Amino acid sequence: MAAVNRRAPDRVPIDFGSTSVTGIHASCVAALRDQLGLERRPVKVHEPCQMLGLIEEDLKQALGLDVDGLFRRNTKFGFPVGGWKPWRTHQGLEVLVPGGFNTTTEPNGDTLIYPEGDLSAPASGRMPAIGYFFDAIIRQEPIDEEKLNPEDNMEEFQPISEDEIAWLTNAAEEAASSGRAVTGSFGGTSFGDIALVPATFLKHPKGIRDITEWYMSTSSRREYIHTVFSRQCEIALGNLARIHAALGHLVDIVYICGTDFGTQTGTFCSVATFRDLWFPYYRRVNDWIHAHTPWKTFKHSCGSVDRFIPSFIEAGFDILNPVQCSAANMDAEHLKAAYGEQVTFWGGGVDTQKVLPFGTPAEVRKQVIERCRTFSRGGGYVFNTIHNVQAETPTQNIVAMIEAVREFNGATAHV
Amino acid sequence: MGRQRMCDPTLLHDAILTGDHKTAIAVTKEAIAAQIDAMELVSRYMVPAMDEVGRRFECEEFFVPELLLSARAMKGALELLRPLLAAAGAASAGRVVIGTVKGDLHDIGKNIVGAMLEGGGFEVIDLGADVAPETFVDAVRQHRPQLVCLSALLTVTMPAMKETIEALDRAGVRQSVKVLVGGAPVSAEFARKIGADGSGENAAVAVALARRVLAP
Repeated sequence: MAAVNRRAPDRVPIDFGSTSVTGIHASCVAALRDQLGLERRPVKVHEPCQMLGLIEEDLKQALGLDVDGLFRRNTKFGFPVGGWKPWRTHQGLEVLVPGGFNTTTEPNGDTLIYPEGDLSAPASGRMPAIGYFFDAIIRQEPIDEEKLNPEDNMEEFQPISEDEIAWLTNAAEEAASSGRAVTGSFGGTSFGDIALVPATFLKHPKGIRDITEWYMSTSSRREYIHTVFSRQCEIALGNLARIHAALGHLVDIVYICGTDFGTQTGTFCSVATFRDLWFPYYRRVNDWIHAHTPWKTFKHSCGSVDRFIPSFIEAGFDILNPVQCSAANMDAEHLKAAYGEQVTFWGGGVDTQKVLPFGTPAEVRKQVIERCRTFSRGGGYVFNTIHNVQAETPTQNIVAMIEAVREFNGATAHV
Repeated sequence: MGRQRMCDPTLLHDAILTGDHKTAIAVTKEAIAAQIDAMELVSRYMVPAMDEVGRRFECEEFFVPELLLSARAMKGALELLRPLLAAAGAASAGRVVIGTVKGDLHDIGKNIVGAMLEGGGFEVIDLGADVAPETFVDAVRQHRPQLVCLSALLTVTMPAMKETIEALDRAGVRQSVKVLVGGAPVSAEFARKIGADGSGENAAVAVALARRVLAP
């Protein structure tokens, strides 16, 4: 936690798998386990949308990880994690998936997946025949402008049940017993995260669920979005208070929001729009957390968000991820010099668009060491790749990355 | 005899610029009723409006939501005009086959580029997402475009861009078209490496790039 508190720790801490944006594709987890000589067993896919592999205790120890993750009971397809059963990926890898992971195969070989595992409901995700993960199937009812009701976009924002709080408390106790820092992803505070707008977890989503329609609505139906965010915020604060009362002492970091504001070269909206439409709600959530808990708050936004970072900081975020240095104006040295005193960087360790999947181990090592040197100066850095490690990433590059962090940390032991 | 309402086609320009889909449709219907030449509507009002949308996007007055709103308004108007343009035998700036490559379902970027090209006076044949190399080949044979645009968002589907270009090559149609590639992970270096004729870093530059590669 010294790193998160922007004090210089004895070494750069490492995260893989504590959130749904800092994970590793199941196929890479399997290959890594093989490479490291760990017990051969099917990898559990704990996040079926992106097909992220669960990083179990033996792999955590082998990689020297420093953070554990705490997740809500249900996946992005609305069925609970657990009740594992075998499934074979399109590339022929045997994995374990949650019991509710029910699929059908299209004539063209695509796989469809269903909300709450209910095969009688319209499918909510599609994996192409040669694909590695699911994309949302857009289920958008025709929009009648006169009848649009913000309530329809709030079905997913509900008070958390006592039953789930008890479940989370058990999971938090287990995570905290590891001695690692714990990141909680409690849900409900992602305002307009485009990955969640299509509501792949709902059987019959209403309101604005089409991604293009939602983006347009942030410009043309701003009052509607304000109403959704405002009510969502009220419910989220109530849930956070109850979660904190039950298990707050077991958690160090809270994943707040994954809404992406950056593209490869620019931003999805102006700073002025951000400050009108998002900032007030982020501020309320962060203010509540900082007033009532010791938690640090985690904001994920891909892309070129340099000009948004001052507003993220002003809104009270403590941690920024994934630090996409490969996007425009996101040079590591610049970010550290400009914002390193005010925010912790969590990510940025190596580029997952070019270097990690397509570079050589030597190129990976070079970039990892450079990034560790830059971002860890004076603390305030947790090592992670720029977003999840994608499928088909060469295992020797993943190993080179971990060895480079160890080298930077002064360890001589090899992975 | 009832007086026919005067139609002001500059309102079409403004409706596209402000992303007002309803007004764009209404003005286009009025313009058709007033027998204003469809080609003139496109070239004097719609293309300049989308050029201005692109300019505002480039200088960050507009962002993705505004681009999408304008594109929707423009497409609504164009749908009404298309039969008239076809009947008049109007020449387009060029014919484009566009699609997201095999294995990749992401189509928003591709849709915006397609709309910007349409707004730039191109005829766009959109093959959708998750498009196999052989489907691109078939489309090139069938539609005889001057330009093929390939989109990918994922690193794992970038190789499908190369495979598509190779398929065009094997089918003997590569030399008949220019190929442009785009998408978040795509760089100019990658485009060169896989034998594409160019890449654009965003949708707004697509029209200029298309015009440039097709210039005699």
